[in-house]
Amino acid sequence: METVIPKTSVVLSTLLRADFTTQWRNRRAVMLTLIVPVIILVSWKGLIPTFGGPFALSNSITIGLFASGLMGYSNTVARDRDKGIFQRLRVAPVPSWAIMASRLMVQLAMILLITTAVFIIGKDYDGITLTPIAYILTYFTAIIGGAVSLSLGQMIVGWIKNPETVNSTTRLVYLAFIIIGMFGELNQLGEAVHNAVQWSPYGTVKTILAAGMEPERWNSNASIALLAAILYTIVFATLGIKWFKWNTK
Amino acid sequence: MDQESTNILTVDGLNVSYGNFQAVQNVSFDVRKGEIFGLLGPNGAGKTSTLSAIEGLLKPQSGAIIVDGNNAKEKPLHARASLGVQLQSTSFQPELYVVEVLQLYAGIYGVPLSKDTLTAMLKDINLEDSATKKFGQLSGGQQQRVSLLIATIHNPRLVLLDEPTSGLDPQSRRQLWERIEAIREKGNAVLLTTHSMEEAEAVCDRIAIIDHGKVIIIDTPQAIIDKYRNDPEVISVSRRGKITLEDVFIALTGKAIRA
Ligand SMILES: Nc1ncnc2c1ncn2[C@@H]1O[C@H](COP(=O)(O)OP(=O)(O)O)[C@@H](O)[C@H]1O
Ligand SMILES: [Mg+2]
Repeated sequence: METVIPKTSVVLSTLLRADFTTQWRNRRAVMLTLIVPVIILVSWKGLIPTFGGPFALSNSITIGLFASGLMGYSNTVARDRDKGIFQRLRVAPVPSWAIMASRLMVQLAMILLITTAVFIIGKDYDGITLTPIAYILTYFTAIIGGAVSLSLGQMIVGWIKNPETVNSTTRLVYLAFIIIGMFGELNQLGEAVHNAVQWSPYGTVKTILAAGMEPERWNSNASIALLAAILYTIVFATLGIKWFKWNTK
Repeated sequence: MDQESTNILTVDGLNVSYGNFQAVQNVSFDVRKGEIFGLLGPNGAGKTSTLSAIEGLLKPQSGAIIVDGNNAKEKPLHARASLGVQLQSTSFQPELYVVEVLQLYAGIYGVPLSKDTLTAMLKDINLEDSATKKFGQLSGGQQQRVSLLIATIHNPRLVLLDEPTSGLDPQSRRQLWERIEAIREKGNAVLLTTHSMEEAEAVCDRIAIIDHGKVIIIDTPQAIIDKYRNDPEVISVSRRGKITLEDVFIALTGKAIRA
């Protein structure tokens, strides 16, 4: 009797179905990742005439992306690894990359969802509209920003094994990003901090998002930020994959 | 040639290390088609490590593993497709309902599942009312039945069960033994681990006693008892004048420690 290996397409679509169902059942946690971005859009309404729409939208999307990559992605991976869910999948005739690819597709959907939600709330509540080209460009820069946040999440879950520690670490990093990112951005913490923030993962993601929203104003600063974001992704992902173990024992 | 046609699993000279610690040392055994084979050993003997190497969860230092004619190193997906697995601690996504977990594993093993088949499967394990319960809401025995069903969902030629009855009450344990025997009735083989002598005697056709990562003896439970029946060491540890597998086991593993 010949051994039959299931088709990769069937395996992938089955994994996707399970992973999206899981995400759907966790929709309350998903809503939580949108809370801070929405607070920004609502509370910064008065700042928009001074700082401009892209300023509010880009900060809002950046926070949303880091919330999803750090708290959503890292924590589910840490939990499933700790419970042995990955090990059970891995003893099936499934290539390991397919297990991760399916998880990343869910995250891609999250990136698009966050971006769309911010666009809609920004338009309806704050009256911010962009040109069609700018909307499209922003989806692309959001995907790159999502890659930075996911690879950072991967690095944390590769480095730390205990799911509770992963949970508190990601929360801490997220909080640091909100505080330093937003206040540094508003120049509340001085020039040195402002510069450091600008070239941090938070700052580069925010810069490319803002520049994508006004393509005519895309400058060399934005291009360097784009390169930096890609570099961050490569470094974080390389370390995150290198350190990653499928089990915690 | 003959070996190839009767063996469903061949493990030859297997070595597994964790850092400097060698957990499995030169372990060789084979599982024949349609038999229930037990790996019997105390905690830490290297049972799970041996299974993990067969399942492809860890890379052995050396040794060959052939599953249903497929070399696990060269054709890992083929080897895994012939295996059904129940890990020592099984867990599924806690968000998913039992039916969804079944659909997930049917899908990744390439088994088409109609609604009727699904219902029949659940009925067979007395869980027809629990289809829309989550795995974590089931009792230990129910979880055990679901994970055994998943391990056999693609009718694999070889089923690996890592301490399947630990933590079960006597009723569930008996029932599980019957389900394990039902796998054999279908002509498939089972490799299970246990530290219960009673279990090894009750369900295994052949056993390998393993301790400190080494195989001490491989034979049928009865043959092992008969072989050591007159061994003074065995007699000295036996109780109530009757020689049991446990007496032999204690005597043998005792010897191994002294050696
Ligand atoms: N991931 C690991 N890292 C280090 N040592 C391990 C690891 N897994 C198991 N061991 C050790 O290897 C030995 C065999 O373990 P295991 O195969 O789980 O035994 P069993 O399943 O027979 O109880 C034990 O001494 C255990 O402590
Ligand atoms: Mg074990």
